[in-house]
Amino acid sequence: MRPYQVATAVAFALVAAVAMIDSRAGALVDRTGREPGGVGAGFYPFWSAALMFVCAAVVAYRAWKTPTPGTSAFEGREAVMAVAKLIVPMVIAAASILVLGFYLMTGLYMGLFARWIGRYRWIWVAALTVGMPAAIYATFEIGFRVTLPKSFLYDAGILPF
Amino acid sequence: MEFFNVFGDLAGGFATALQPFNILMLFVGVMLGLVVGVLPGLGGTSAVAILLPVTVIIARTSPTSAVILLAGVYWGALFGGVVTSILFNIPGEPWSVVLLFDGFPLAKRKGKPGVALASSFFASFVGAFFATVLFTFLSKALADFALSFGPPELFAVFVMSFATLIGLGAESPAKAVMMIGFGLLLAALGFDTITGQPRLTFGQVGLLAGIGFVPVTIGLFGIGEIIASAEESGIGFMERLSARVGFKDILETLGELRKRLGLVISTGIIGFFFGVLPGHGATAGSFLGYGLARSYSKNKEDFGKGEISGIMAPQAAADAAAVGSLVPMISLGVPGSPTSAVIMAGLFIWGLTPGPLLFVEHHDFVWGLIASIYVGHLMTFLICLAAVPLLASIMRIPYAILTPFIILISIIGSYSLNNSMLDVFITIVFGLIGYWLRKMKYPLAPLVVAIVLGDSTERTFRQSLIASGGSPAIFVGTPIAAILLTLAVALLLVPLIRSLRSRGRRAEPDFDVSTAID
Repeated sequence: MRPYQVATAVAFALVAAVAMIDSRAGALVDRTGREPGGVGAGFYPFWSAALMFVCAAVVAYRAWKTPTPGTSAFEGREAVMAVAKLIVPMVIAAASILVLGFYLMTGLYMGLFARWIGRYRWIWVAALTVGMPAAIYATFEIGFRVTLPKSFLYDAGILPF
Repeated sequence: MEFFNVFGDLAGGFATALQPFNILMLFVGVMLGLVVGVLPGLGGTSAVAILLPVTVIIARTSPTSAVILLAGVYWGALFGGVVTSILFNIPGEPWSVVLLFDGFPLAKRKGKPGVALASSFFASFVGAFFATVLFTFLSKALADFALSFGPPELFAVFVMSFATLIGLGAESPAKAVMMIGFGLLLAALGFDTITGQPRLTFGQVGLLAGIGFVPVTIGLFGIGEIIASAEESGIGFMERLSARVGFKDILETLGELRKRLGLVISTGIIGFFFGVLPGHGATAGSFLGYGLARSYSKNKEDFGKGEISGIMAPQAAADAAAVGSLVPMISLGVPGSPTSAVIMAGLFIWGLTPGPLLFVEHHDFVWGLIASIYVGHLMTFLICLAAVPLLASIMRIPYAILTPFIILISIIGSYSLNNSMLDVFITIVFGLIGYWLRKMKYPLAPLVVAIVLGDSTERTFRQSLIASGGSPAIFVGTPIAAILLTLAVALLLVPLIRSLRSRGRRAEPDFDVSTAID
């Protein structure tokens, strides 16, 4: 676990460093009277980032110095696979909305989970693939009048979503 | 005279809360809360965050109905988490973790699942009732007091909120400060409201408006929790009991409650005041209640083996703390817990400003909300007594259907507020960050509170300096600001004192309240 703790703290320190560099122009109190109250736009983000940087350094140092049992962040290969099986399709599904729209993505995503993870019979997979987008369309698009992204087939006038 | 005015205001609040549409919203909120409370992969905070875009539509006609819906989810989730802890030995919510100690043993070893469930429901109801009475009488007084606050006093209140999260909450104060710094940075991103300069946008036009609170919260809580849950369910196992709460169970529980009424009321009252402290919601309250019950019990050895006090005390304190967490939100504009932080974000989205002026400008809204807490808890209590088998059956929804469904609902929630795909990607990214932070034991409460309070903290800081012509003496120039900042410094010294005291003796593992997510 220790390398992961150190790496996480270092990542936060880097984010803080970038923010400090970006807002360094307003880091100090202005005595010239140009900034109202002597504090410019960069003051607050600079010192918030500085606070974060110092604490991230402390956390990284402590994690480095404190011995912890085990080196892996996960409890075995099954745990890694369980997380990967969720994250990878989720990221692909979110990105595919740009092309497929929300409803086509929903059908494919539900169908994939039903078949791949649930190992359902094809009839149930088909029912979820069609039923879930239809239910969401009825609830949000018609019921709540929330417009969700449409697919290229909608643009071509082939599908209503 | 002021005291009697409260009764008149409360009566008006009941007239609002008992309107048919508000009752419907409360019912929908409570049912949703019960469902998410039962499901280990989804928490009350995530459900409230996901529902925010829907409430925008409701708030156009009535913000009171919208807040009643969100508060209903909170109350429902408080009760719903109990069922899985007691019957399945799996906490549905962080605040029901403590029920694993005595709830499951009473249900399994002693064969009394009905009594275990009824004990927690009755204690929740009693604790919440007394907390709501305190809420009714104290919140207006606190708001009246806060009306005299200017920017320096408000800045001191915000600083004290952060100091509370660090001093009283975190096992690792450095991690808590890091999360606060990160939250403040996220809040600062985009246009500076005073000078109009872009900050931390790195030339990206999409970031000029800043990062929305809703997509970040849905990611941190909704997606983050579901990934964490996927990891755990892949390696865990489930032990299931089935139960219903019968008339005999209720009679037996009432007898037990009578013997422990003093304990339940006192832990409820202590839980309420604990909940008022920023960042300390129901989860911290539940552990506090358990600790108190065990410390003052004559039968300490019975704890962990199905002792009813070990169920009633934490439940009463948890519900009371949840009610208490709404007090600073309404009276001061400071969220008492992550869930109340999300509800507070909802108020901003609907065009309301949380804080003392709410009592003046939106009188019906505030008293409608307060009255709905009474009605909501009664409704939840009755539904729970009647519908335990139904709630338990929710746990049987297959993972292959539930998990993608929650992700889809999260995507809808983040997209629909601004019709922005950027918000969807922010949700996914923060989902991954939230999961990893949980894994690395970083507290999420300071992060969420900092994102919500970031803008207000900076605004009051700079307004104070503008008013004083740049002199920092203004922050200690009034007695209230000086006292609050002194308290904040004292709170920040607590971890140091704690570390000095524990040096040389073996530290016992403490529950880290700041990692609690409620």
